Amino acid sequence: MRNLNRIKLALAISAVVLPVFFVLDLMVGQIQISFVDVWNSLFGQVSDETISVLIKEFRFPKSMVAIIAGASLSIAGMFMQTLFQNPLAGPYVLGINAGASLMVALSMLTGISFFYNEYGMIASALIGAFSVGALMMIIATNLRNTVALLLVGLMLGSFISAFINLLEVGSIADSLKRYTLWSMGSLQQVSFSQIPVISLVFVLGFTISFFFVKPLNLLLLGENAAVNLGLNVKFSRLGILFVTALLSGLTTAFCGPIAFVGLAIPNVTRMLLKTRNHTWLLVGNAVFGALFLLICDVFIQLISGEILVPINVLTSLFGAPFVIYLVTRKRL
Amino acid sequence: MISLENIAIGYKEVLFSAENIELSKGKVYALVGRNGVGKSTFLKTLSGNLVPLKGQIKVSGQNLVNLNNSEKSKLIAVVESKFDGISFLSVKDYLGLGRSPYTDIFGRLENSDLEKIQEVAEVLKIKHLLEKDTVEISDGERQLVMIARALVQDTDLILLDEPSAFLDFINRELLLKSLVEIAEKYDKCMILSSHDIDACSRFSLPMLFIHNKQLIYSEKFDLERVKS
Repeated sequence: MRNLNRIKLALAISAVVLPVFFVLDLMVGQIQISFVDVWNSLFGQVSDETISVLIKEFRFPKSMVAIIAGASLSIAGMFMQTLFQNPLAGPYVLGINAGASLMVALSMLTGISFFYNEYGMIASALIGAFSVGALMMIIATNLRNTVALLLVGLMLGSFISAFINLLEVGSIADSLKRYTLWSMGSLQQVSFSQIPVISLVFVLGFTISFFFVKPLNLLLLGENAAVNLGLNVKFSRLGILFVTALLSGLTTAFCGPIAFVGLAIPNVTRMLLKTRNHTWLLVGNAVFGALFLLICDVFIQLISGEILVPINVLTSLFGAPFVIYLVTRKRL
Repeated sequence: MISLENIAIGYKEVLFSAENIELSKGKVYALVGRNGVGKSTFLKTLSGNLVPLKGQIKVSGQNLVNLNNSEKSKLIAVVESKFDGISFLSVKDYLGLGRSPYTDIFGRLENSDLEKIQEVAEVLKIKHLLEKDTVEISDGERQLVMIARALVQDTDLILLDEPSAFLDFINRELLLKSLVEIAEKYDKCMILSSHDIDACSRFSLPMLFIHNKQLIYSEKFDLERVKS
């Protein structure tokens, strides 16, 4: 009971802090914009055309994407950590991002027109993410050792990167630049008109996630125990993998491969909420993940000059030390 | 309660076979035999996760082969030999998972589920552990908690894979004693695999003995026979 209050309090505080950082993220940048102007650009009369365009076309989509990408990656990471029973699992570590990247590289660098629109991009990223996820799942059933599994994931990631490099070598300068920028991770590639689609896919993934709370809770006990408690493990695994691919594929398609969020935030969420109930973890990961990327973006805006620091620089800067802390503090 | 009808057990090759055996409720059966004779394989078969190579097994009149996981989980509970605990998973939440066969698609616990948990915790005298983390309690306590989860699952048949392997002598005796009491009081059929033949003999548990590729049943524990 005491812990339940703690969880509710933590989530309530974050729910208040989240909009604050959302507005802050709209205000800061190369040009600082006052709260009043932000408000007016979104809801009221236009005081200054430039500012209004800046807010609507650039900053608002970027802040929305920060929230959706942060939540998506964290939820996907949590799914992977429970499914693989490993606190160091995540879409990035397991090569799922690499799978999505390869498919995006195929569409950007080869110019096969079938993939060359925004929906084609999402679809190909999803296919890439799901394929690698499924492959890792098969390997995981035969490989119980958690460290070995992570190594396989990292190797698979490098293996796929080799193909991406091959594509890069053979491509023309324009598309290569576009792909390289994408691969550094950016929240700014999204336009206002794309926000509804992205939001819809996210809400869909988030909603479906709640139907996997019970399977995830059971899978904590290991596969055998889950089966004996009545779980259809094959179906659950496939479903969880599908949602993971959907959420991380969505993010990767629009923001590029963002590192560490999917690995670090699920661990932070568990530590903060001190629970293993996936209903709370799901909400917690969504809120904390969104908050984390928003804070990262505010930082980026504050420290950047003419050239914007890529988002991966910040997530790695915060994330890598945290993972080192996790590895040294806990036995795997 | 359980009828074994002319079964042969094993993965591809037959490990052992048995003629018709009937096991009833309210008793604890000791499953004994040397390493590698197929005790774990037998438990896996009884839990419905492995199909017998020959013959059939019926639990409460239903052939295991015809049941899906959800149906099986209402008939059979399994206590694994070891559970290391999971950080941030409280004993109460762990026991809550034992109600999974009866909860809705979101796994929400109703009042009746919570009452069941309280009731079992009372019987096993682990109420003081409910709010604790599953990694914070001792091995012996965790063993009790695992058994509690099986009781919470509210099944007629409970399978226990060497439940006393990690307990000291006194706790082993206490565990066996309470298992016998619980089986009687709540009318459960329990089958436990064990290497502790002396303890099984002291409680004169009915015996399932695997020897020379045969599963032999005897109503009284036959220590001489097992030792020879």
